[in-house]
Amino acid sequence: MSLQPTTLEELQEMITANRSLLPVGGGTKPALSAASNGATRLDMSRLSGLIEYEPGEYTFTAYAGTPVRDIVAALAEHGQYLPFDPPLVERGATLGGVVAANTAGSGRYRYGGVRDFIIGVRFVDGRSQLVRGGGKVVKNAAGFDLPKFMVGSAGRFGAFVDLSFKVFPEPRAYVTLKAVFPGLGPALGAISSLFTAPNEMDVLDLEPLADGRFSLIARLGGLSSALPGRIERLQSFLYAKTEAVSHEVIQAEADAALWQQVNAFAWAGDGLCLVKVPISPKRIPLLENVVHGLAPRRRYTAGGNIAWLAVSDIDSLDAVLNTVNLPGVVLFGPPGRPFIGPRPGVSLARRVKQALDPSGKFLEI
Amino acid sequence: MQHRIDINKYGPRGQTMAEAIQSCVHCGFCLAACPTYKVLGEEMDSPRGRIYLMKEVLEEKLSIEEAQPYLDRCLGCIGCVPTCPSGVRYDELIVSYRAFSEPQRRRSLTDSMARRMIAETLPYPSRFRKAVASGKVGKLFKGAMPEKMGAMLGLIPTDLPVDKPLPPFYPAKGKRRAKVALLSGCVQTVLDPDINWATLRVLSENGVEIVIPQAQGCCGSIMMHIGEEERAKKLARQNLQAFRPNEVDAIITNAAGCGSGMKEYGLLFKGLPEESEAEQFAHKVQDITVFLDKLGFKPPAALPEPLTVAYQDACHLLHAQGIRNPPRNLLASIPNLTLLEVGDGGLCCGSAGTYNIEQPEIAHQLGQRKVQHILNTGAQAVVSGNIGCLTQIQTHLTERGISLPLFHTVKLLDWAYRQTN
Amino acid sequence: MNDQPFFSALQKIYPKDRLLTQGVQLLAYESDALTSFQAKPTAVVIPETQEEAIETVRLCHQFGVPFVARGSGTSLSGGSLPIKDGIVIALNRLNHIKKLDPDQRIAVVEPGVVNLHISQAADRYNLYYAPDPSSQPVCTIGGNVAFNSGGAHCLKYGMTSNHILGLKVVLADGEVVEFGSESLEGVGVGPDLIGLFVGSEGLFGIALEITVRLLPKPELYRTVLAAYNDLETAGNAVAMVVASGLLPGAMEIMDRLAIKAAESGVDAGYPENAAALLIVELEGEAEQVETEFEEIMEVIKESGAYEVRVAKDAEQRLQIWKGRKGAFSSVGRLSPDYIVQDGVVPRSHLGKALAEIDRLSQEYGLDVANVFHAGDGNLHPLILFNGREPGALEHAEELAGKILKMCVDLGGSITGEHGVGMEKRRYMPAMFSEVDLETMKAIRRQIDPKEISNRGKMFPGGEAPALKMTGMHPLEAQGIISRE
Ligand SMILES: Cc1cc2nc3c(=O)[nH]c(=O)nc-3n(C[C@H](O)[C@H](O)[C@H](O)COP(=O)(O)OP(=O)(O)OC[C@H]3O[C@@H](n4cnc5c(N)ncnc54)[C@H](O)[C@@H]3O)c2cc1C
Ligand code: SF4
Ligand code: SF4
Repeated sequence: MSLQPTTLEELQEMITANRSLLPVGGGTKPALSAASNGATRLDMSRLSGLIEYEPGEYTFTAYAGTPVRDIVAALAEHGQYLPFDPPLVERGATLGGVVAANTAGSGRYRYGGVRDFIIGVRFVDGRSQLVRGGGKVVKNAAGFDLPKFMVGSAGRFGAFVDLSFKVFPEPRAYVTLKAVFPGLGPALGAISSLFTAPNEMDVLDLEPLADGRFSLIARLGGLSSALPGRIERLQSFLYAKTEAVSHEVIQAEADAALWQQVNAFAWAGDGLCLVKVPISPKRIPLLENVVHGLAPRRRYTAGGNIAWLAVSDIDSLDAVLNTVNLPGVVLFGPPGRPFIGPRPGVSLARRVKQALDPSGKFLEI
Repeated sequence: MQHRIDINKYGPRGQTMAEAIQSCVHCGFCLAACPTYKVLGEEMDSPRGRIYLMKEVLEEKLSIEEAQPYLDRCLGCIGCVPTCPSGVRYDELIVSYRAFSEPQRRRSLTDSMARRMIAETLPYPSRFRKAVASGKVGKLFKGAMPEKMGAMLGLIPTDLPVDKPLPPFYPAKGKRRAKVALLSGCVQTVLDPDINWATLRVLSENGVEIVIPQAQGCCGSIMMHIGEEERAKKLARQNLQAFRPNEVDAIITNAAGCGSGMKEYGLLFKGLPEESEAEQFAHKVQDITVFLDKLGFKPPAALPEPLTVAYQDACHLLHAQGIRNPPRNLLASIPNLTLLEVGDGGLCCGSAGTYNIEQPEIAHQLGQRKVQHILNTGAQAVVSGNIGCLTQIQTHLTERGISLPLFHTVKLLDWAYRQTN
Repeated sequence: MNDQPFFSALQKIYPKDRLLTQGVQLLAYESDALTSFQAKPTAVVIPETQEEAIETVRLCHQFGVPFVARGSGTSLSGGSLPIKDGIVIALNRLNHIKKLDPDQRIAVVEPGVVNLHISQAADRYNLYYAPDPSSQPVCTIGGNVAFNSGGAHCLKYGMTSNHILGLKVVLADGEVVEFGSESLEGVGVGPDLIGLFVGSEGLFGIALEITVRLLPKPELYRTVLAAYNDLETAGNAVAMVVASGLLPGAMEIMDRLAIKAAESGVDAGYPENAAALLIVELEGEAEQVETEFEEIMEVIKESGAYEVRVAKDAEQRLQIWKGRKGAFSSVGRLSPDYIVQDGVVPRSHLGKALAEIDRLSQEYGLDVANVFHAGDGNLHPLILFNGREPGALEHAEELAGKILKMCVDLGGSITGEHGVGMEKRRYMPAMFSEVDLETMKAIRRQIDPKEISNRGKMFPGGEAPALKMTGMHPLEAQGIISRE
């Protein structure tokens, strides 16, 4: 079953009248948005549109059902952007979906993810009440930070009505440098050297290659006149201080196309499940050991702090994640069971659930 | 901070105290600089807490006795003063408060005996020397307060260096560039008379002529520090008569505590007939390092071998008198010498006058912290501008079974000068 | 209720020197950095281990005794103000940096660790902890977490919340939960519990262990100090910099009165006679910064500054910042009392907001010094008054209220970083609807059913009924404590 509110009042009525609701945006992350056994889809796509955008303010407010594509376009007109590279934009991801699923692309590395840019939320909770948290200014310490709490909440606490974000000026130009390392150890060694180096990178991805080697992919953004010097410096750093064996520089359209592909998860291929696992660089070898056979395609973003695993079998991965004590969230895959592996802090989340949705209008957390 | 202190109750110092309290905004910046807070982590043992307690006492909401333990633990190191953005004169406050509270507090018999002993012995070199030499210090303390014995005895060498009385006058070498008077001090002359001799030689080497008024005595700052105001005044008066500030370019001190104490003569005599005379005197007081740095000193010769030294800032130079660079400039000018900075350098070593005797545990912790920081530098020697710090560091190094040479800044300089001759 | 069992239980945990109950000891904990409020707790405990802190919270829950966690007591909103009839849990001895891992750019610290000490410890790896409240030499990470504290350099990389990756907390009912990780992604899966806890002003419980993210020290700073003849022009200069599309690390403004305070407080050596000073700082990789610097100088030149200085070295940079960072406390030199406000306005309304503050200041006949994070529209008007004059505090508070109301009317917030605490509770309804507030309270009650954790803060009015003590406190009867 599917419901489609077109106004706030309708939304509130629908929540009052139904239960087991699952708010859904563009449906680009089926494991989170497809309704399974008895759940009712609450299609939020009609509550859409940019409500407020003042370029001079570097903030905007939009309905949760707004396609991110539209927002990205509006921002681009003023040279502004969401630095965390919201993924699946071309496929129709909505702003609400990005928040609920906590998805960020490779650009998350430098300035942070969804949580670091969201500043306000209005949502209807399980008591059908319209609740606001945060505000519309870039800095605000009044009240509990509900906007941040909602990041990754997977529609379990309420249905977003609108969301406010801060944005940044977009770098005027980009260049990407891809360096190849003989193995995981040397690649991780390079990440740790780069961590304390002065070189600033907007993106730092780690990609396993078919032959057991790894490549590190750094993207630099900034003023175009400074970029050639910076990329050269990074290059010499890699050869002098790390075990890089070769490299390639990717510019202009090729650069843009590369990152569009990456952020659309094109590399994950079709037919596989896609799982996000927060990790820290030092634990990557451990994960690599256990998922090697399970996940034919993998990518690490944010300087080795997020693992994206394309797997065929969620159950096996669940078991493996439990053994290495790493939580995961499924984006592509069978519906109904988005959270796998351990669930640190879930008891606290359940308490909040009890406050916002005491009668279980939305799915269990 | 708001207060309801009846200023008139507290004589000439009431105003000083009220002003300090009023300008405190309770922001807590001073916590970071306070050694007792670092050790104990309690609000009552922080400058902010102490100011608050003093306020409550002066407002007559709290008894002197209740507040006393926490105020007694204050080292008087003045570390809190330079860190305070609001300009609270904690130094003036605590000295004034102690002068007010001391006569009123009840002390145990042993406590007051010990204090009397300190007050009647320390400031008088001949008595102090006799007391130490005859082992009386030990005995007196044993009888008076056995539990505090260790600290005191640990600091006093059993065999004292030979007394070398200073001449009334010491000529300048070469062309005379300046004329100064020297405060010879009390405890220091007994424990290490060479510091004064080194001072005379270094000054002379730089064309400075020195008078050493023979009628001078202890500067009185220890007495001020512990709230024995009348004794302090008596000692200060003696010096006001002995020195002739108008006839010299500066009154030189080579002990941090004496310098900062004499700079406060004005406050000591606030509202009294001697006030302006005391102010004039205070203005002439200069630490030897500042004087030389300003005068422009003769470059010393190279040390025979390379030496790394850790410079320990004495609180009463750094915090009380704001003297940071002059000693460093002097030391850095010595060829073959490498100056190293001590971590958390502004933190008191725990020596602070009679603190070792009165708060042995905190003093011990601070001493150990300081020594650790010094050892961390890997320096081959330690230099400081205050005998108290040197003694404290020595004690705590010995406790760890480590021996490092310790120098007063002037002695190191003197040594360097003598390499040429 | 009978408190005897509670205190006997505390005595089992703490030796005498870490269970403070004497009047004089409690007195010292009466206020934080906002002295208009005072409340004496019944006891102060000083845990030295996480277990002691956990055990204490459990006892408080069991006996229904309210508690306030305390770091360095530098809250400007009465956040760490004790609760009458409650206890204070002073975290200053839980001050160990448990781990510092440069390879992952993280540190794991206890709550009593002083903000600046993390950067000092990380320095040898060329790393630092970015959020820099002016109080950073003294305020603790625990306090920063509770208030989501910010600082001058939070424009680019965010406030405390943006730098916390993992937390171990004891909730108000004694449950210990851990969430987040050593990953830059923090919680990453499921609702962002770190986001929820950071900024909750101690209403959920006590943070016991905090994993923070470290950043590489910027290779180069370019610090520009521009002097203006009036505040509005300086405000407009901020808008111009923002519009230029450059992303400075910090952008701060001080007005005439604040400059005067800073000068007398720390001898900052600022240009004379300036009505307003703008500090803009670029930071980052040298080549990028140098290029940005050329652009920013163009913008500043056109902004109407009558004098522009550029810090030539680290020392000059520090000198510029010294005045700014010491400005609050320095105001103590101008006036015996002040209230600091912390409202936020949309950046494009800065000029309007400042003009309105000026008007209100004249209307109320009270001096207001402005020193603020211009880059994110976070105002810090300091309202000067003399509390000795009857009614002066109330008068000043009324003015403060008007300023906050203006911020909300302009679409902003009543607090950017100092938190609501005790002081701004009553302005919450201006920002939030009854439902919003009720919802926040409902969350709080799920986590702290007895409302013992920092009771009475953040929410207007709704104090739980004070614990009724009948007769003498047992420790009072024993002569261990006394209350005036
Ligand atoms: C001169 C001055 C300048 C300042 N500048 C700034 C600034 O630039 N930016 C800024 O944001 N703030 C600033 N502040 C405010 C203050 O320093 C911050 O709010 C700081 O975070 C408080 O830290 P603290 O350790 O003093 O905490 P406290 O004042 O002791 O406590 C603050 C709050 O945190 C709670 N708390 C403390 N520890 C914990 C814990 N472990 N778990 C849960 N709750 C806890 C307390 O209960 C209380 O509610 C300034 C204050 C002063 C006095
Ligand atoms: S730093 Fe100064 S104003 Fe602040 S609490 Fe300490 S003494 Fe008071
Ligand atoms: S003088 Fe030293 S010990 Fe005393 S309060 Fe100040 S910093 Fe602390």
